[in-house]
Amino acid sequence: MRPANPAVSAAAPARARRRLGVRHLAVAFPVLSLVFAGIGAALGETFYLRLATEALILAGLAISVDILLGYTGLLSLGQALYFGLGAYTAAFLLGQGAVGFWGALLASLALATPVALLAGLVAIRSKGVYFILITFGLAQVAAKAVYNTRELGGSDGLVGVPVLQADFGLFRVDLGSPVAFFLLMLALIMGLYAGLNYLMHTPFGRTLVAIRSNEHRVRFLGFDPWRYKLAAYVVAANVAALCGALYPMLRGFVSPELLYFKMSADAVITVILGGVGTLIGPIYGSVALVGLRTVLGSWTEHYHMIIGALFMLAVIFMPRGFAGLFDRSEGDPAQDEGEGT
Amino acid sequence: MTEAIEYLQFVLAPQMLNGLTIGVAVVLVALGLSIIFGLLDVVNMAHGEFYALGAFVSMSLYGLGVSFWLALVLVPLIVLPIGYLIERGLIQRVYQHDQRHVLTLLLTVGLSIIMEDAFHLIYGPNTMRPENPLPGSTEILGVIVPNYRLFLLAVGAATIVATWLVIYRTRLGAMIRAAAFDKHMTASLGVPVLRVYAGTFAFGVALAGFAGVLLAPIYSVFPTMGHDFVLLAFTAVIVGGIGSFYGAVIAGLLLAQIQAISSLYISPHWSDPLLFAIMVAVLVVRPQGLFNWMGRS
Repeated sequence: MRPANPAVSAAAPARARRRLGVRHLAVAFPVLSLVFAGIGAALGETFYLRLATEALILAGLAISVDILLGYTGLLSLGQALYFGLGAYTAAFLLGQGAVGFWGALLASLALATPVALLAGLVAIRSKGVYFILITFGLAQVAAKAVYNTRELGGSDGLVGVPVLQADFGLFRVDLGSPVAFFLLMLALIMGLYAGLNYLMHTPFGRTLVAIRSNEHRVRFLGFDPWRYKLAAYVVAANVAALCGALYPMLRGFVSPELLYFKMSADAVITVILGGVGTLIGPIYGSVALVGLRTVLGSWTEHYHMIIGALFMLAVIFMPRGFAGLFDRSEGDPAQDEGEGT
Repeated sequence: MTEAIEYLQFVLAPQMLNGLTIGVAVVLVALGLSIIFGLLDVVNMAHGEFYALGAFVSMSLYGLGVSFWLALVLVPLIVLPIGYLIERGLIQRVYQHDQRHVLTLLLTVGLSIIMEDAFHLIYGPNTMRPENPLPGSTEILGVIVPNYRLFLLAVGAATIVATWLVIYRTRLGAMIRAAAFDKHMTASLGVPVLRVYAGTFAFGVALAGFAGVLLAPIYSVFPTMGHDFVLLAFTAVIVGGIGSFYGAVIAGLLLAQIQAISSLYISPHWSDPLLFAIMVAVLVVRPQGLFNWMGRS
């Protein structure tokens, strides 16, 4: 039997135990975050709260990579494309005063869906490495195009995004308040996690995992892997675009850097460090990476080297990441079997 | 009529020649990429950084008083062992993993991040430009060609031919192709497959480093120089078919030519999207690229 990723194909009892472990992580995260928010609010903190909010936004991008890599077996090196698309759409419309909070989010999704459908049509038709390289190239080309388009602010990007009020009917959230934005983002990311976690346990999600394990068999069972992969790609793009749309609301500006390879690579690093195929791992990974970058960045501007080295060590020695530590299916035969091609 | 000839002589022909020189350099980079993939199944995302490494090492050598001609020989010889050690020490560690495609690629992504930052750290963010070792120009059929570009063209073409000879006409090349075709069978015949792997990786990145030295006097040397160039090489490799020798050569020359000629009519900013659109069009018709994998050719 060809072993699939141990994180998703562990034997049944081990899987139950594992989910328990990962579920603990999923409960611990909002609890710790609320404690953090409480302390931050009590101290009147701004910097760290906003930084944590950014970590949560970037966690959304990482989750989007995880849907593809961890559940469908597709590595995207250009997920920043959709993050940037969402960010630019929101910044552009908000800058014009054309839409409010909800309008910006909806517009990002409305734009990301057709773009992802089109890009997915080409990228998913081409298998294996071609998919990786096409997603990589697409994002690079889009970044260059944005960089050279004056209407989108060129290399400066778009500035002057107003501070918003998010209207939830019963109450309003003032996004100018760091605590309020953090709590909103926490609710959103945990909602995304819960929703996607549910989705991955529906027959649709199960089929994705099956495709990741063995695409040929899935085809023999009468499913069309192509459609499932495309659907996963579009879902992932929408997740990235949604979180991208929140970025200018936090930072007040967007720049072409949001589309650069560094963004996409950081998202992949986050997923690997946090734990691929767990959805919650990338959230921890994002907080860890943003924290690490801030701490290291205060010592040296050459922190990329350290993060790159850490990433390589993780790939070699701990490819299942932080959340993988909570997966107690260590002695699983599917893992030891590891064969070469 | 004279207008047409003048256009050809002063606008089109020089531009096509530019395209050809860049094309030869792109082929050198794309070939390394393609050979590494064809044999090791590794997509080397750090390939652009090895191209930059070649250029930076040459700048250091010039600083030590080494001449361009000596640097041209020394740089590949310096990059070669670096590539060998990286393959043996890092990339070979994840070969046994069932996710090796993804893991090896991720390793090279990490490597590219480290290398780019290292260039920043050691050489600073500023753009450097080595002296042109062959100033002046020659007139060929009424077209004025800078001497250095002619030299680049000749050396690049010779390197491509030499690479072809090694891969398709020597015993070493036969071993490499055999290892690409069936690793276990080749190993059982006594070929040290793992060393062949490391050697091939080293050779591929040395080619990129060589291209870095050659192109440094034309473009400049700066830490992110690998990014832009490698995108063109990647596009060439995808269009030509990953792991195909002929594909890399033909697609590399063709794409560089398209880029050069199109830049006469559209802003050079848009040549990347144009090349990308061509790549997508090729992939829609032939998802595996134009040519076949070298293990089977």
